Amino acid sequence: MQDRPSGRPLRASFLIPLVAFLVLAGFATAALMATLRGERDVSQLPSTMIGKAVPDVVLPRLDAEAGDVGPAQFAGAPLLVNVFASWCAPCRAEAPALAILEEDIRILGIAYKDKPADTRAFLQQYGNPFVAIGVDRDGAGGMALGVYGVPETFLLDADGTILLRHAGPIDRRVLEDILLPRIQELQ
Amino acid sequence: MPLSSATRPMRRWALLICLGLAAAVTGAATPANALTPEEMLADPVLEQRARDLSQGLRCLVCQNQSIDDSDAELARDLRTEVRRRLTAGQSDADILDAIRDTYGDYVLLNPPIAPSTWILWAAPAIILAGGALLVFAARRRDDIPDKDSPLPARETPARSPKHVSLKSSVAGRQAVALFSLVVGCSLLIYLALGRADLPDRPLAERTAEIAALKDTAQQDNADRVARFDAARAAVEAEPERVSNWLELAMAAADAGRSETEVTALRQAMVLTDDDPTIVSMLAEALSRAADGQITIPARALVEQALAANPAEPRALFLYGLAAYQDGDYAAAIDNWQQLQRVSSADAPWMPLLADNIADAAAAGGIEVPVSPGPDAADIAAASEMSTEDRDAMIAGMVDGLAARLEDNPEDGPGWQRLARAYDVLGRTEAAQDALVSAADALVADADAQLAALQAIVAGNAEDRLVDDADRLLARLVEMAPARPETLYLRGHFAATNGDVEAARAFWQQLLDRLPEDAPIAGQLRAAIEAL
Repeated sequence: MQDRPSGRPLRASFLIPLVAFLVLAGFATAALMATLRGERDVSQLPSTMIGKAVPDVVLPRLDAEAGDVGPAQFAGAPLLVNVFASWCAPCRAEAPALAILEEDIRILGIAYKDKPADTRAFLQQYGNPFVAIGVDRDGAGGMALGVYGVPETFLLDADGTILLRHAGPIDRRVLEDILLPRIQELQ
Repeated sequence: MPLSSATRPMRRWALLICLGLAAAVTGAATPANALTPEEMLADPVLEQRARDLSQGLRCLVCQNQSIDDSDAELARDLRTEVRRRLTAGQSDADILDAIRDTYGDYVLLNPPIAPSTWILWAAPAIILAGGALLVFAARRRDDIPDKDSPLPARETPARSPKHVSLKSSVAGRQAVALFSLVVGCSLLIYLALGRADLPDRPLAERTAEIAALKDTAQQDNADRVARFDAARAAVEAEPERVSNWLELAMAAADAGRSETEVTALRQAMVLTDDDPTIVSMLAEALSRAADGQITIPARALVEQALAANPAEPRALFLYGLAAYQDGDYAAAIDNWQQLQRVSSADAPWMPLLADNIADAAAAGGIEVPVSPGPDAADIAAASEMSTEDRDAMIAGMVDGLAARLEDNPEDGPGWQRLARAYDVLGRTEAAQDALVSAADALVADADAQLAALQAIVAGNAEDRLVDDADRLLARLVEMAPARPETLYLRGHFAATNGDVEAARAFWQQLLDRLPEDAPIAGQLRAAIEAL
């Protein structure tokens, strides 16, 4: 192409592949940069639950002799709902983060597909940051919330609207950049 | 290169590939699916609707499988949910809407046509149209005479208008043919392979290879089943023999029957009165059944085993793994290094252990004390060599380590490794010297002093290393005056120095502190007598 005579004008069609390539490369670069900067997490699936009222999940309590528990009981103030299980390794990893969050917000635990005895031992070992724990033996509560793997965490405002959902363990970045600022905003 | 002569055979190839693909697809075997019989509905009409719905729903765990194909637990839950709603009399649309409400559009394998997906759905058409435009544009440009073109085909002198138009019509026909071919093939491939609702397709074209593999697998399987049945029969015949239960556990593990394995190990545990090795085997079996998670019950067992025997290798390994899974990498490294210390250098788990420690160090950003000793790969290589080669290699590694330590004598663990290496090579004196150096590098470590002193005593090197022994013993006495080992060693060195009174006093002191029935009490009494 370099030895094209200078007198002849370039054809528009010659530019099409170049433009198409640049557009595609632009999108790819933007997505890659967002991932590298941590703004975009490829492991996170889009959630439809955000902005909706939390489903009416009612589960038997782990601790008490009688009674049920669900997010609805905590309306009136913000609430964090944490779906966890004793058999889940990332749930152990996020235990310190929950202990920090416990200072700022009430946390409702949902023990997903877990034996109550194992859940108790888990709490014994890793601490119990929860105001109450619902036992979701068959996973129906998790399904109502759209959970596709533990741990998952939902932030609800005082009206019970889901503001935020995080799938996977709460690591330092999620804690400091996402959860704590949103919780501070609410208070 | 002239374009046309190259395209013609290529087009034939493309056609053949398309036909081959189509044939392969029509010949594909029946689809695999993950549905289990107990999930199925009794009503065949409802069941068919459930299957149809399931094939359009994405498993959010495996993401490119439908819930009908996926073995994931969430997929099973969703299948059950679909069937529950069907039995409750809901319509297909109701069910899809309900699931979409909680899991979003992403759960549908075929995305709905909505403003946010217009680009997605239009993309194939846009790309196709763009491609077509390009092809036509390129063909048109080719027809314009170009004096400076380096292509020999273009240098044909005849350039009458008639010729150009003729050539252009041929080029046009070629372009149309190529275009239709590309579109046709794409469509065919998409319909055959790309559609979202297509089930998994086993590799039909590899039938012979697969059949051979299957035969071997079946043979293996038959062997496993035979072993398992034999083990079970043995257990039934002699349920009081621990070895029978252990064999059953191993056979069950081999056959993938983790429940039987766990039961058998529990039985063995009861029979051996909680033998720590068996307790940790049970912990391992439980973890294996939980996909490698050291679950809460498994942890309790590991702790039980370690309480009974702090050097139980399997329990140490699992304890480290539990710490690793907790994100406590320092503790994990600590446990695994402890296991390294209690294991012989050629223990089969050593390479894995080294890898794990490196992993934990990387994950926790911890700097593991440099281990200039032979690494896992060297050891693995050594085990495949002839004895002479191996000895030569080990000697080479040991010399390298010794040279490094001469330059860096503060590396106590390095000296200890060197001592173990000398021990393996049978160079007892060198091993004793290395342990003394280790003790001098680790002045605050009573165990290091003790290890060196014990090596001196065991090797009868009291005379050769008399000054070193005095120095080390003084440190040990200062740090751990009341330890039984300290008392014994003070007595021993007093005796070798000829101070019988002192030796008797130390040993008597030790004897008083030992329980009456301690096995070494008798030996000690005999030693006091012999003074």
